[in-house]
Amino acid sequence: MWQHRELIWNLTVVDLKNRYQNTALGFFWSLLSPLLQALVLYFIFRHLWGREQDFAINLLVGIMCWQFFATGTSSALHTIVGKSNLVTRVYIPRQILVLSNVLATLINSLLTFIVLLLIIVVLLGHLPVTVLLFPLIHFIYFWFIFGAGLLLSSLFVYFRDLNQIWQVLTQVLFFCSPIFYPLSIIPAYLMPYYQLNPVTQFIIIYRAVMVTGNLPSLFSTAVVIGFAIAAYLVGSFTFSKLERRFAEEL
Amino acid sequence: MSAIVVDNISKKFRIPHEKKNTVFQNIVGLIKRQFSYEEFWALKDVSFEVNKGEAFGIIGRNGSGKSTLLKILASVLYADSGSVAMNGKVASFLQLGVGFQPELTASENVYIYSSILGLSRKQVNKVYDEIFDFAELKKFENMKLKSYSSGMNVRLAFSTAIYAVPDTLLIDEVLAVGDEAFRKKCRDKMNQFKTEGKTIVFVSHALDAVKELCQRTMLLNEGRIVTMGDTEKVINDYRAMVQQRTAKTSSTRMT
Repeated sequence: MWQHRELIWNLTVVDLKNRYQNTALGFFWSLLSPLLQALVLYFIFRHLWGREQDFAINLLVGIMCWQFFATGTSSALHTIVGKSNLVTRVYIPRQILVLSNVLATLINSLLTFIVLLLIIVVLLGHLPVTVLLFPLIHFIYFWFIFGAGLLLSSLFVYFRDLNQIWQVLTQVLFFCSPIFYPLSIIPAYLMPYYQLNPVTQFIIIYRAVMVTGNLPSLFSTAVVIGFAIAAYLVGSFTFSKLERRFAEEL
Repeated sequence: MSAIVVDNISKKFRIPHEKKNTVFQNIVGLIKRQFSYEEFWALKDVSFEVNKGEAFGIIGRNGSGKSTLLKILASVLYADSGSVAMNGKVASFLQLGVGFQPELTASENVYIYSSILGLSRKQVNKVYDEIFDFAELKKFENMKLKSYSSGMNVRLAFSTAIYAVPDTLLIDEVLAVGDEAFRKKCRDKMNQFKTEGKTIVFVSHALDAVKELCQRTMLLNEGRIVTMGDTEKVINDYRAMVQQRTAKTSSTRMT
C-alpha cells in the first residue's frame, strides 16, 4: 500500500472535491446536517433527559461519532460499483478505492470534530486533558469503518440491493446506540447484548475522553480494538476472495 | 529473455440463465433451486511467450477471446488455471482516460491519470509540458474537462498515457482515435517505443496496423490458438479462415 501512497492521496482528494463540488462552502454544508439533527433531537428530548449531566454536549458527541460511521460505511459501500472503470479497465489494487474513500470521510470527520471541540470549549469552559487520546481512538474507529467498508463494497458487487438493506440496518443501529438517550435507561438484562454494538462502545469512549475527562475503561478499549481488528480481517478476507470476479460482475 | 510467459491458461465464463443480482433473487433461487448456468470457455489451453523488445499482435474474430486474454495479462481478470508471468512494469491501455474527472481541470486530470498508470508526481512534473505539447492543448490546460470535446479528451488521455509507458505495453484497439494527423502521430510513437526496446502486445482488428507494428502475431479462434508466428503468414491464415467461413455460410444459404 505504501508504494501507492500518491495514488491513494490523489483519489482521496478527487473524492473530497467531488463531495464538496469544489465549493469553499462544501464542508460547511456537510457540517450543517449533523448539527441540525442534534438541534432537533435536543429540543425533542430535553424534557425527558435534559437534566442529565452535559446532555447537549453528549448528544453532539454522539451524533458526530455516529455520523462518521454512517457516512463512512454507506459511502464506502458504493466505491467498487461506482468506480467500475477503475476496476475493469485498468489494474490498481482494488482495496485502494475503498481506502481512499474512507480516508476522505475521515478528513471530513476530523474537520467536524475540530468544530465539535470548539463547541465543547465554549459550553464547558475547558477541555479535558484526556482529549489527547482522541487521535488514537479516531484511528481505531477509522480502521473499523475501513474493514466494514471492504466487506460492504465487495458484497455490493454481487448483491445490488445491499445498499437498501444497509440503510435499514444503520437506521436500526442508530436507535440501538446511546446517542440521544442516556445509557441508564437500558434495562440491566439487556445490557450485555446492548454493549455488543461497536458504535456504543465508541460513543462511550469518545464521551469519556472528550467530555468527562476519564480514561476509557479497559473493557471498552479491548472491545473496540477487537472490533476494529475483526472488521478488518473479515472485510479484507472477503474482499480478496470476491475481488477475483469483480471485473466479470461489473 | 522473455517479457511475458503465458503457460497453459484457461478462462471459463459462467452465464446464468437468470441473472441474480440481489439478496432477494438469491434467496428465491435457493428455495426454487434455480442455479443453472451455461459455461463457456473464453480461453482454452493458451500458451505463448513474448520476448523482450518484441511487438506481438493478437488477432481473431469477435468473441475469439482476444480481449479476455489481454485483460488477464493486465491482471484485471484472473485465469481459472495456468499461469502468467510478467517481467518488468506493465501499463495496460484497455481504454484511454480511465478515471478522468469531468469536474476537474485538464491539468489536475493529467496528474490523477498518471498516478493511476503508476507515475509519481515528480515524474509527471518532468514531462508535464511535453504531455500538453504532444496533445496540442497547452492553451486549455486549466479548463475543466467537461468543457473538452471528445477529440480533445482522447488526445489528452493518449498523450498522458504514452509518457507513463514503463517496460511493457498492452493495447486494445486504442490507436483508432482522433483525426488522421493525430493517428499518424500515434503510429510514429508506437514505432518509437519499438525501437526503444519496449515490449508491446497489440490486440486489433486493423490488420494493416498489426502488419506495420508487429513482428509476430497469434491468431485466436473460439479461445484456442490457431496459428502463431510471422505476422504476414498469420494474417494470410486469418483471411483464408474468414473467406472459408463466408463461403460456407453462403453455400448453406444456397441449398
